[in-house]
Parts: sequence; C-alpha cells; structure tokens
Amino acid sequence: MELRPILSAMRRNKVGAILIAVQMAITLAILCNGLFIIEQRIMLSKRPTGTDEANIFAITNQWMGQPADLPARLQADLAALRSLPGVVDAYVTNAYPLTNAGWSEGVKLHPDQKSSNAPSALYFADEHGLPTLGLRLISGRNFNAAEVADRGLNDLAPPPAVIITRRLADKLFPGGDALGQAVYVQFQKTRAPIIGIVDQLQVPWVAASGWGSKFSDNAMIEPFRFVAQYSHYIVRARPGQTTVVMRAAEKTLIDVNRARVLRKVQSLTDARAEVYRDDRGLAIILGVVCAALLAVTAFGIVGLTSYWVAQRRRQIGIRRALGATRKAIIRYFQTENFLIAAGGAAMGVAMAVSLNLWMVSSFEMERLHIAYAFVGAIVVLLLGQAAAFWPALRAASVPPALATRGA
Amino acid sequence: MLKMTHLSKAYRTEVVETYALRDFSIHVREGEFVAVTGPSGSGKTTFLTIAGLLEEFSGGEYQLDGADVRGLNDNQRSRLRNEKIGFIFQAFNLIADLNVQDNIDVPLRYRGLNGAERRRRIQESLARVGLSARARHYPAELSGGQQQRVAIARALAGSPRLLLADEPTGNLDTQMARGVMDLLEELHRDGATIVMVTHDPELAIRAQREVHIVDGQVIDLAAHPRLIVGVQTHA
Amino acid sequence: MFNYYLRLALRSLKRNVVLTALMIAAIGVGIGASMTTLTVFRAMASDPIPQKSAQLFEPQIDNWGPLKHGEVTGESGSLPEQISYTDAMAWMNAHAARRQTAMYATSLALTPSNPEVRPFQVPARATFTDFFPMFDVPFLFGGPWSAADDADHADVVVITRELNDKVFGGANSVGKTVNLDNHDYRVVGVVDRWEPVPRFYDLNNDKYGKPEDLFLPFTRAIDGQMMMWGNNNCSGDVGVGWEGHLRSECVWLQFWAELPTSADAARYRSYLNNYAAEQQRAGRFHWPPHTELHDVREWLVYQHAVSDEVRILVLVSFSFLSVCLLNAMGLMLAKLLGRAGDIGVRRALGASRAAIFGQCLIESAVIGLAGGLLGLALTALGLLGLRSLLSDEVNRLAHLSPVDVGIAVLLAIVATTIAGLYPTWRAAHVQPAWQLKAQ
Repeated sequence: MELRPILSAMRRNKVGAILIAVQMAITLAILCNGLFIIEQRIMLSKRPTGTDEANIFAITNQWMGQPADLPARLQADLAALRSLPGVVDAYVTNAYPLTNAGWSEGVKLHPDQKSSNAPSALYFADEHGLPTLGLRLISGRNFNAAEVADRGLNDLAPPPAVIITRRLADKLFPGGDALGQAVYVQFQKTRAPIIGIVDQLQVPWVAASGWGSKFSDNAMIEPFRFVAQYSHYIVRARPGQTTVVMRAAEKTLIDVNRARVLRKVQSLTDARAEVYRDDRGLAIILGVVCAALLAVTAFGIVGLTSYWVAQRRRQIGIRRALGATRKAIIRYFQTENFLIAAGGAAMGVAMAVSLNLWMVSSFEMERLHIAYAFVGAIVVLLLGQAAAFWPALRAASVPPALATRGA
Repeated sequence: MLKMTHLSKAYRTEVVETYALRDFSIHVREGEFVAVTGPSGSGKTTFLTIAGLLEEFSGGEYQLDGADVRGLNDNQRSRLRNEKIGFIFQAFNLIADLNVQDNIDVPLRYRGLNGAERRRRIQESLARVGLSARARHYPAELSGGQQQRVAIARALAGSPRLLLADEPTGNLDTQMARGVMDLLEELHRDGATIVMVTHDPELAIRAQREVHIVDGQVIDLAAHPRLIVGVQTHA
Repeated sequence: MFNYYLRLALRSLKRNVVLTALMIAAIGVGIGASMTTLTVFRAMASDPIPQKSAQLFEPQIDNWGPLKHGEVTGESGSLPEQISYTDAMAWMNAHAARRQTAMYATSLALTPSNPEVRPFQVPARATFTDFFPMFDVPFLFGGPWSAADDADHADVVVITRELNDKVFGGANSVGKTVNLDNHDYRVVGVVDRWEPVPRFYDLNNDKYGKPEDLFLPFTRAIDGQMMMWGNNNCSGDVGVGWEGHLRSECVWLQFWAELPTSADAARYRSYLNNYAAEQQRAGRFHWPPHTELHDVREWLVYQHAVSDEVRILVLVSFSFLSVCLLNAMGLMLAKLLGRAGDIGVRRALGASRAAIFGQCLIESAVIGLAGGLLGLALTALGLLGLRSLLSDEVNRLAHLSPVDVGIAVLLAIVATTIAGLYPTWRAAHVQPAWQLKAQ
C-alpha cells in the first residue's frame, strides 16, 4: 500500500492525527489496568475459605449484661442447636471467615524469640469445629473432648495442642515435618504441639491490601470453647436446608433464653456477597468506565475521520477519476487509521506499563502481565479500524466527477 | 487613494522562489474606476489580496488613502480593512448561516457601532442595491445576482473609501452580470473609487481605465474613453 | 460583542447538530464520571470538624518497644495507633490539656419497656464528659453529665435523637431511665443530629459509619467490664481476666486532647515526652521515649482515611475526562477548520485575530456549559449507581453538595475552553487570502 503519500498527507494534518493517537494511548492504558484490576478483584472474591460454605451459617450472640452462668448458658445453646433437625453439627467460636473481624497472633518456634516467625489468624473451636466447618485434615487428627477447655475473653490458659493450616505449616517448617512439632503462641511460654494440619482455612480479613492480606491462609485453631458475652455460633446444615435450619435455629435460641440479642444471623454465602461487595462494585464500575472509554474514543475517531474525508473530497474524486476503485479508497483511509492507531498503541503500551508501575507503588497492587498490554493494543487497533470504516465507506462513494467540478 | 510603488511579492518554498508580483506600480486616484486585467496566473488576484491588506508583500511601498501600510500589525490592518475597504468577491462569500441582514451586519459589528446606527446603515445599503424586501432571506434562497448584490450592500454599508472587486460577475449569467455591472457604474457615478480585477475584456471596457498585468508586472496602461452605458458589446 | 458572539455560537451549534451533540456528550460523560468519583473523594477527604480540627489532637506513645511495631501493624517504625489503659488514665489524671477524654466503643443490649419488643443491641461509646464540648456535640434536650458523674461512676447516659425517637417517641426524655444490659441508667441529655464524616475520633471500625447511639461514662463502663468493640492489639504479657487486661500493654483506647493554641500543643508534646521518659526511668519502658501528637487532619492522613478503591476510581475517571476533552478538542478542530471559509470572510471584513479568537472561545464555553449541565445530571445518576453498588458506608458520602455542583459546571467550562484553545488559535490564524483564493 502506498504508505509514503499517506504519511505525508498525515503530516499536513498532524494535530488531528496526534489527538486520535493520544486518545487511543490513554484508552489503552486505562483499559489494560482497568481490566487487570477487575480480574484481580474477581479472583479475590472467589478465594475459597476452605469450609463447606454453602451449608454453613453463623449466629452472632450477645448476652445482656455480664451473666455469671455463661458456661451453662453456652452448653444449653449448643445442646439445643445440635439437636435441631437438619443440623449436622455446631460449635461456638470467637471468629469465622468472610467477616473482616477476628483475632490474630504471631507464632514463634522458640519461646524467647523477640519476633514471631509468622502471623496467623486465631480461631477457637471444640472437637465439633472441624466437622462443622467441613475442614479437610491432611495429616494428624482432630481435637478430642479431653483437650477442650472453656476460655473467656481475657483468659490466658495456653492451648494443650493446636491445629494449623497447611500454608502456615509450610511457612514454619519448610521441610514439611510440622506434625508433632511445637509452636509458641505470641505470649505463651508453654509449648503447643501441632496435632493436626488442615488443607485450608482462610483468615477472617478479606481486603485486597489490608490486615491479613499478606497471610490470608495462615490460620491456627486452639481447642477452646469460647465463653464470652459476645460470640458466634457456627452451624452446619444438611445440604439444601440452610435457610430453613437458620430460621429454626434463631427461634430456638430465643426460646432457650430471651436475655440476649442475636445481632446477625447469616449464611456464609450471604457473608461472602456482603464482604466482597466493594470489590464487586469496583469491578462493575471499572467495567462501565472502560466500555464508555471505548465508546468515546470510537465516536471521536468517527467524527475526525469524517471531517478528513469531507476535507479531501476533491482529492478523492481525482483519485477515482484516475482509476482508483472504491475498495482502494476504503483501504486508503483504513490504512491511515491503522498507522495512527499503531502509533497510539505503541504510546499506549508504554503508558499502560508506567501507569501500572505507579499504581504498584502507590496502591499495593500487583504488576501487570505484559499479555494484558498486547491484548489491549489489539483491542484498540480493532476499535480504530471499526470506527474508521463508516467514514471510509462514505469516502468511497465520492463520485469521480468531483474532480472536474471543483470543490 | 491606492498607490503601490515597485511592489513585489515572492513565494518561497524549500526549492523554488516564485514572484507573483515584481516591480509592480499602480496609482488609483480617488473617484477612479480602474480595471486590472491579465491572463490567469498573471498575479492580478495577488494584487487584489495585497491591496485589500489580506496579505503582506515582500518589497516596495503601498499607500492606502495616504497612509503607509508597511509595518502595520494584524489588528491595525484589520481595522483599516474594516473601515476603508469594501470587498466584492467572485464567489460572493456570504456566510450561509446568516440571513441577508445579518450578513451585512458583520463588518459593522467589528466597527463597534451601536444598534441603531447599524440598523440604519443596513437599511440604506439594502435599499441602494434594491433588495430591501429580502432582508430576512438566507443566501441559499437568493439567485446568484441577488447574492452578489447583497455582497455589494455589505461592502457599501461601512462607507468604504475603496471598493475592491474580484471577478464580480464570474459566477453570474449574462443578464445578472449586466445588472451587477450597471450597479457598479452607478456607484462610480456617485463618487465611489472602484478597482475591479477581471480577465474579461468586455467587462474591462466598462471601467474608466485599464491596467494590464502579465507575469506580475504591468505591461501597458491604456486609457480609453468611457462607454455609453447600456450599449451591448456583444450579441 | 459578547451577546453577538453568544448568538453566533448558539446558531452555529444548532447548524451542526450531530457534531455539537457528540461534543456535548463527550464532555458530559467525562464530567459525569469524574465528578461522581470526585464527590465521594471530597467527602472522604473532607475535614469533619473544620472549626476545630486544628485544636484537637490524638497522642501516640510507644509502649511496646521498637521491635514490636512491625509485627502487629505491618509497618515498622510506626507507633501503636491506640492507647493502653495505664497511659490513658495517667494522662486523664494529669489534666495537661484544656480538655481531654479517653474513650472506647462498646455495645449494650437495650430492653424496651414494652415486653412485646425484643431487646436490641445499641452501639455505645464509653467516654468522659469533656467529649461533648470538645467535639462541639449539639444537644436537643439536656446536656452532658458532669465531672462529678465521671468521678462517681454514675449510671447516666446521653442518647442520640434517633434512639430517643425509637424508645421515647421523640419526647424530652431527660430524667427518664433506659434498661441496658439489665441495669437502669438515667438519661441526662439527648444529642441532636451529629454525623462527622469521617468518624475521625475512632477510625478503627466503620470509618464512615454513623456515630454511636449512646454515650456513657468511661468509668462506669470499666466498672461494668463492658467489652471493647474495636481493635485490641497486645504485646508482651496480656494478663489474666479484666484486671489483667487493664494492666497490660494492650492498646485499645482512643485518647483526644483539646489544645487551643500552638503553645498549648508544644507544651503537651513535652509533657508526653517527659511522661515517656519517666516510664523509662521507672523501668516500664526499656527504650528511649517516643511519642507523637497529630491533629485531626494529620490523623486522617496517617490513617489513610481515603480508601484505595476511591483513589483508583478518581484516577481512572479523570483520565477518562482527559480522553473526553481530547475528543472534544478534535471535534472542535474539525468543526472550526470546516468553517475556515466563513472565518476568512470575517477576517476580510475586518475581524482581527482577537475577534475570531473571542468568538470561538465563547463557542467553546457554551459547549462547556451544556456539557457541564449534562455532566451534572450524569453525576447524580452515577452517585445513585455508586450507592447501589458499594457498601452502605458510601451511602453517606455519595451526595451532591452545592459546592460539588459548582465545581462540576466550572470544571466543564474551564476544561472545554482550555481544550478549545488550540482549535481556536488555529481558527484565528486562518489565512484570509488563502480561503478566498481557494474559491
């Protein structure tokens, strides 16, 4: 194709060409990074908790005042819950995943270390904990009833044993021999042997870059029944019966004792939707903006290219009079657009990468795969070609007679 | 009124330097009707654009109504153009978006006149060219001859010292052309100074005198007697 | 001339409907997107208490030692963001500031007098009486409890208008009692609408949430061992039970001091350093004193009050705006150069370059104004969308204030005019001779 005349004609219309190229470049930069963020957030919101989410719900219980007989009330509640029809198992705990609220501890391998080897979320559970959550043991065993004790909010008794997640085990014991080894939880001087390792249990915090994001699969379970004014009952229902059992459980607890407030009764499925609401929202908003960006750029190309076509009607007529086919005229304008778009895409890839690097340093984001930039470049090129097609078609319909008639 | 002495205008590209006008001198006195003729490419249009202060010249001297125009900045030239010169173009050059009245109004706005004064002048000049009834029409609704007359009204509205016409009848058929030339002669009789560029010798004859340009230079000055208005010069 | 140019601008826009519509649409959408995010950003970044933000300070002290910070907060070198009970009480008793209060968030179960209505949970704040004058909290009925009530650990509460409406039907409830956690408390005051955005005095949970529904004396809450709702970070021995918790180096309280002048602030800073030095001498701390004092605005910056999501959205939307403006610039260029003939005529008739410049600039401004109004409508729509997509916290932030409206329109006009500068400059430099010769 006759690149030289196209390029020299463009040089006379420098500014317009530059405007389109820059628009495409910025569009590309935003598109790449936007799509990347969308992917990141979607992946974030799909991270598994390691539990049987579909069948689990949680009831957040707050007793009125500071009743003296908390352990007895707790036993009554648990007995009532476990005996409900449709309930597989239930337990009481201090925290659970998908809530952005929980406890964390530093785990040490030696009691006198100044700093800990790894941070970890801390969950209390009795021997019903693992069956309720549906956690998968990959080595060792669950707690037995003898190991479980009551624990109040400010109690300090050390755990006789702990169960940890595989990720935490790998971090603490890279050699893979965690089972049977002992750890020391932040302030304790007593060793706590690891008696079981579960495949996965997520920390309660889910923010992309916040507390817990750097150790989201490090969790430790201590064998305690959490006896406190404010705690959570976790209940696992039979498949398909979650909603029904949830309502029944709520009613049962009120019947057992009215002197409480049930702050939240929520299935884990709903908890997931709620806790990732902002991430989903951000993804949707970015998606809308990217689509709008493509539309605006496309319309801009249509507008400016149409203007160029109108400006060069005489020239087009002359070309047609000299033997150019309609297809040749279309190709001329498509080629012109392609050259501009290529320039814009090259600029855009550079912009996309620098934008991403800047965001990585400012927002704790991850680095962009170069593949995104290339896919974006292709999208932008195709967009340009599509947008230029209609004006090019209009150009092709300019009659050759125009050459003789003058402007 | 219009005095050019040894004027030259050069166009320089990277490779070539061409002279549109070279050692060009002309003196148009007040009240004269001068035709400037020559073959195409002779430089007569360049002469007109320079005379109308639309372009700068490379060498020589140009005095308009006694004032030397060399060294004037763009604002001064615009003002001079607005106040002293009335243009009449071959392609009429009316603004399509505006009606007849608003078209005539354009130069008056740049003069800074108040509303009443502008309206008076518009009415007067429309009446002068006989188009008072078409004040609110748009150029597209008028014939070629009428459009040219509106352009003439526009040129007159500012009471210019000099009328510059570039092939004023070039886009008109014979009858309309006659009408426009009649009008120009009438204006001349009433005291206007007119410089008309044309390649048509038949038109040139109707002026008072003729200046002939070839290759950017004046070739011969021929003064010939005024023709009696209305005599047909061709079948 | 302005009116003339305005008329010409409107006429020319009408002639070129499609082009004009594209330009206005481009600008409108760009303004809509950027104003939507800017509104939320401005709300998040705004000063929640402008009349006093420079006089309210949150002190920090290193009660863990330099090695411990990084572990818990993830940022080495930074101080704990809350205060331990020991330090808070020491500072309260020292009265080193004009006013001061230690406080924490808790929750109580309220049993209404109507037995048919289930008890419900009430978010509460345990604080000292200075809280109310310090933060300019307005009262509808009654007032704060007294310093004596603080000293006596009295069973008094201050409730908000909303809670008052719910429990007492909006009547003046001063003197009446409420049952909280099976205990009666006397209402001494009802707080009128007070919703600082963000909730600067406690940024641990719910930065943009509503303030608590109920306030009670700190001393009474400690007495009742009312559980703390928020962050509790501990280092070193934690201690057993409630008493142990109070004596430990766990940080879980917020502390605010009112220091009206910079001299007061300087004095308080040295008080804090002396206090820390004393603790070192007494053997409680084994490291040099390290304290800091931030006023409200500094505290908000320190605590990253504006979320990353909002920052990203602002960045993206303003880039979007720049694309829209480039778009408009291109279309304006096309439009003006397409009118080069008319411009040449005007120049021939005596318009100076400045006159053409002015005429085109006004045309840009008109387009900008139209785009701004469209953008405003789209912003309202966008905020609606944000409120439905994002969490409830955003609900309180996503509202157009009159200032935002003004910013939107001004931004549109200024941005469009700037985008139009190059096309306008080109138009003004159209060579009249060229245009007229080309006929």
